[in-house]
Amino acid sequence: MRVVPTIKLFDCLIVPIQIELNDSTVEKIQNQILNEIEKLGINTLIIDVSTIDVIDSYISYMLLETANMVKMMGCDTFICGIQPQVALTLAQMGIDLKGINFAQDLEGAFKLIKRMRGNSYEGKGIFDRD
Amino acid sequence: MKEKESLIEIDPKDYDIVVKIKDEKDIVVARQMVKDFAKRLNFSLGDVTKLSTAVSELARNIYRYAGEGFIFVREINDKGSAILEIVAYDNGPGIKDLNLAMQSGYSTTKGSFGLGLSGVKRLMDEFYINSKVDKGTVVIVKKRRRNY
Repeated sequence: MRVVPTIKLFDCLIVPIQIELNDSTVEKIQNQILNEIEKLGINTLIIDVSTIDVIDSYISYMLLETANMVKMMGCDTFICGIQPQVALTLAQMGIDLKGINFAQDLEGAFKLIKRMRGNSYEGKGIFDRD
Repeated sequence: MKEKESLIEIDPKDYDIVVKIKDEKDIVVARQMVKDFAKRLNFSLGDVTKLSTAVSELARNIYRYAGEGFIFVREINDKGSAILEIVAYDNGPGIKDLNLAMQSGYSTTKGSFGLGLSGVKRLMDEFYINSKVDKGTVVIVKKRRRNY
């Protein structure tokens, strides 16, 4: 079931989350992501949370769990657009999201991917103008 | 709530917001109401986020462990400076070992960092918790408005 609209760009799956997250929605999004990664042959997952103004311990746990799951499917996770006050809150609560890559925005995420993958990246054409 | 030996005497009339938590969606409702309320009281954006995150954790604890309970929120005026108080109250199973429950990384549930209660404590200025087995749990947190 599709809970959030996603965008497939080359081998990237971009997931902009722009809905209010309740616990069961988070779970459904996780399912959706896993399914789409398998179906679409994705190897990079980008989750954009720039419109999310509350990320509590459960949501961050699920983000980390999702990143761990997709890692086992051969896929790296990038989270972009965490608002400053959300970062402040998460850090103060002592929540540590090891294993996830972070970027300020979608553009930053792609720059990071490009740097990490170098020229071997299949979708490099979209970065050529950089 | 007025019965003897209850953990706390609360008159809902004293509070600005009362949310009954009995469904998962009520967590979001409580979160949003506190967010709007704190914004209206001119709390900084950082503190608004901390308050709504804290209430999200407390409401989830009610829903997960007690099934049903209440979130009470009010503004307290302390010599001209505002304090926002959140009370999370339930008549659930209670917590056997409060010290253990407050430890970072401890949780009785799978799918959790175990940072809910300890995280809330770190986000707030004041934190009070009391719990009796088979009677319920009450958590009271306060956050003072900072004037920058």
